[in-house]
Amino acid sequence: MAATATPEISRSRAPADAAGERRRWFRGQPFWLVAPALLLLLVALGLPLAIVTLRSFSEPGWGLQNYVWFFGSPVNLTVLQRTFTISAWVTLVCVVAGYPYAYAMTIVGPRVRLILILCVLVPFWVSGVVRTLAWVILLQDSGVINSMIRGVGLSPIKLIRTQTGVVIGMAQVLLPFMILPLYAVMKTIDLRLMQAARSLGASPARAFVQVYVPLSLPGLYAGAIIVFILALGFYITPALLGGPRSTMLSTLIQNQVLSLLNWGKGGAMGVVLLVATFVLLALAAPLTRQPHKTGSRR
Amino acid sequence: MMIKFGQATALALLMATTAALAQDKPVAGQVGDGSLKDKTLTFVSYGGIYQDGQIAALKEFVDKSGVQLLSDGPTEISKLQAQVESGNVTWDVVDTGDFPPFVYCGKLFQKLDFSKIDTSNIPKGQISECSVPAMNYGVVLMYNTDKYKDNPPKSWKDFFDIEKFPGSRALEGSGDLSGGMIEQALLAAGGSVENMTVADIDKAIEKVRSLGPDTIFWKTGADSQQLAESGEADMIAMWTGRAMTAVKNGAKYTPAWQDWLVVMDQMTIPMGVKDPDAAHALINAYVGKTSQEVLAKTTSYTPIHKDAKPEVDEVTASFMTNTPDKLKLGYQQNIKFWVENFEVANEKWNALMSGN
Repeated sequence: MAATATPEISRSRAPADAAGERRRWFRGQPFWLVAPALLLLLVALGLPLAIVTLRSFSEPGWGLQNYVWFFGSPVNLTVLQRTFTISAWVTLVCVVAGYPYAYAMTIVGPRVRLILILCVLVPFWVSGVVRTLAWVILLQDSGVINSMIRGVGLSPIKLIRTQTGVVIGMAQVLLPFMILPLYAVMKTIDLRLMQAARSLGASPARAFVQVYVPLSLPGLYAGAIIVFILALGFYITPALLGGPRSTMLSTLIQNQVLSLLNWGKGGAMGVVLLVATFVLLALAAPLTRQPHKTGSRR
Repeated sequence: MMIKFGQATALALLMATTAALAQDKPVAGQVGDGSLKDKTLTFVSYGGIYQDGQIAALKEFVDKSGVQLLSDGPTEISKLQAQVESGNVTWDVVDTGDFPPFVYCGKLFQKLDFSKIDTSNIPKGQISECSVPAMNYGVVLMYNTDKYKDNPPKSWKDFFDIEKFPGSRALEGSGDLSGGMIEQALLAAGGSVENMTVADIDKAIEKVRSLGPDTIFWKTGADSQQLAESGEADMIAMWTGRAMTAVKNGAKYTPAWQDWLVVMDQMTIPMGVKDPDAAHALINAYVGKTSQEVLAKTTSYTPIHKDAKPEVDEVTASFMTNTPDKLKLGYQQNIKFWVENFEVANEKWNALMSGN
């Protein structure tokens, strides 16, 4: 550290124009660039989170009683597990639906691409509640989908108030969060690499799997993590599209805090969800870090 | 003409005297001219048509007293708790659901000073230490007329009997448990609501569970209305306002009024408001006859002034719950029991609501 600091100082002493001076000042002080965002995070997220965590240990009395309650109640454990299961399904659906879509966005002409981008963004601009209610109309027993199924003489399927319905609705709401990071990474991939692989004798499928897919993985991981984490906290969609068997943890937290004023219990539930998420992400981290031998340009 | 004029003078004189005596004995709906000039009150409720109607009902109060009325919401007890605990209460009058003024009386809500509110026209049994009713409505059994034809369900007992009355059911699952509904489930399970115990809650919830896995627990009023209009459930426990709207929109459902559950919103004053007198004056104006008529007309909720005669259409009138025949059929939940067992009952209800 000391060794690199010395040339830094000597360089900053060298005479230069004012703009260059300023640039160097910023380079040396990256902290000030992130300070506003950091301050906002600290005040708007860090502080409340600290208070919630504190209250989970201090209300109604000091101790672990809220955590003992959480892990002693089968309802909580079932719902926690269900929250992760539903989120995993939503992430999977988003990957399966989002990957080809983002890929298509990179290979079409500019005009079609614009249409594809709009198709992703327009629902993104519509409120989640509105989209969820639209799904109610589509999925309900007497809804559009089941009317069509009945129309062709098949027996209707139960979609609304099932986990399937919840996963469909949530995946649609979250799909942009998968497609946008994927597209951002995919558009930087040089398609000539695939041609190179072909010229070296790889089949199209192999060139795609061994060259293209590894290069797109950073986008896939980013999208998957965003979708998964956002899904964990979903509230309105499961409430409206699901039944009791698809209640997620946020509903239970809401009930503890808003109707029972149990900040301690609600806080403990939030902390458990947060810690469980971190643990899961830590477990998944080695996967994302693995450098790929084939195809990587970096 | 002369006689009428004389009557008007007498009435004006009477009113003037009443106003002079207002210090001692308030009259519902009345407030002194300019008595709250330069003062500000924040009224909090659940938003939408309902709060708009409440603000409309308070217009006369605002115009006369000179108060500046602010509107906020939606009501969240946790937010109120944060205000009271931090000693910075900005909500002066709060419209809440059934239970909060009982559960948090003296803690979050102050005991009302009934020398400042004229409660003489409010239906009996609806006033508590910390609240007066904001309006009345009900949870009513609505059944699909096409489905049940000449053998319709008549009561909650039939609602809970899936052998005699096959078909799907929908009931409220929007948050807090409905004490009245659980009591009806207990009765249907052969239990007794007198001297209810915590074990009875389990018995009742077991009865609800026996309705089967396809039972729908609707989350919002709009949700329940949608169920009726699309014919999604054969019997639906619905709020009267939503039932009325569904019928107006062509839903082929009919109410069975036997033991409809009496529900109400409550008007409360939080602990530590800056001007309790002004807050009391607002409530006193709100429970007045004209105010209640405006409220009923704009929201279709039932007024809580016994002489209020709102001008409403036929369908709306048929869902008003304050007519003598309906009052006879109404079922009042055991509020005391549910308040005493609020937390344990909620825990059991939530277990059902989360699929356990």
